[in-house]
Amino acid sequence: MSDLPKTSGGLEFEGTVVECLRNATFTVELQNGHKVLAHISGKIRKNYIKILPYDRVLVELSPYDLTRGRILYRYRT
Amino acid sequence: MNTSHFSSDTGQRPVTITRVAETQWLAVEDDREVGRGDAVRRPDGRMFVSIDAWQDAVFDRLAAAMTADLPAPLYVVVGETDREVRTGWERAGFTTGRREREYAVPTDPRVTGLDLDAVRPPSSVTIVPAGEAQEDLLRVLDRAIRDEVEATVGWQTMPAEVLPRPAGDTIVDPSKYAVAELSGRYVGLIRVAPVPRRPRIGLIAVLADEQRRGIARALLAQALGSLHRSGAESAWAEVDESNAAAVALFEGVGARRTSGILELVRL
Repeated sequence: MSDLPKTSGGLEFEGTVVECLRNATFTVELQNGHKVLAHISGKIRKNYIKILPYDRVLVELSPYDLTRGRILYRYRT
Repeated sequence: MNTSHFSSDTGQRPVTITRVAETQWLAVEDDREVGRGDAVRRPDGRMFVSIDAWQDAVFDRLAAAMTADLPAPLYVVVGETDREVRTGWERAGFTTGRREREYAVPTDPRVTGLDLDAVRPPSSVTIVPAGEAQEDLLRVLDRAIRDEVEATVGWQTMPAEVLPRPAGDTIVDPSKYAVAELSGRYVGLIRVAPVPRRPRIGLIAVLADEQRRGIARALLAQALGSLHRSGAESAWAEVDESNAAAVALFEGVGARRTSGILELVRL
């Protein structure tokens, strides 16, 4: 996992993508069972990394709205 | 490093934008990171930037700082349906430079029409399946195709993945390539990454003087047939929208457009 992103100091959780939605957003179920609506990060987009249902991902939650997040990293499966 | 201050649209606390490294900018509110910007120069020399911010006002300030600090032109990749991010970059003066289509490609010959008995390569051409290509000949072909690209359209219409590596050699795993052989030399190739849940057709190319003979279609037939036999129902591929031959090749076998990518540029 040496290429994990540097931490932002925000709230980060591992989760699983359960649904790809319109507008480039995803429903991600966190390990604690909560579901959040997440965009992909600029770095993931810039590197053409595709996110699919069942992918295990690292999500950073918005400090302004804990139901929204950003996918920072896709783990290898 | 450069630092600027402004109040976010919540109007409560000031946000500070700082260039913390040559290619990194941070937006900090109350000692908490609320946005970041990154830049990376690709092997073809183009500078690509990205921003992650929770608020439009922070996004706009990061974009202003980055576009002021970095020389033009700058490039951004966004999903074509990602209106929020796209709008943000458009506010910063970026416009669409090119579009890339993403396709789901069926593998079943009954759908693609690529039954191997019916789709034969042109005479004297043999398709060598993935894993059986001679590595030295494959590397020669790869270099020849890249030389042709560099002498003609260049890399600016190609996805990042096919850009030349700094060392000049792009063959990472020879076993992923099927090739077309003609009179002892290789004239075309297809690379398929056998990702379990969705295999990816990463590259298909034929030397310029051997194009328009059905070699690419024969390579595609071989690759899709192999995937079908291994149980994969579909693969995916990305095609530059201006590449009419590639669009026709994939749509001609029943590929379904699923989404797309926009490359925005600020000149």
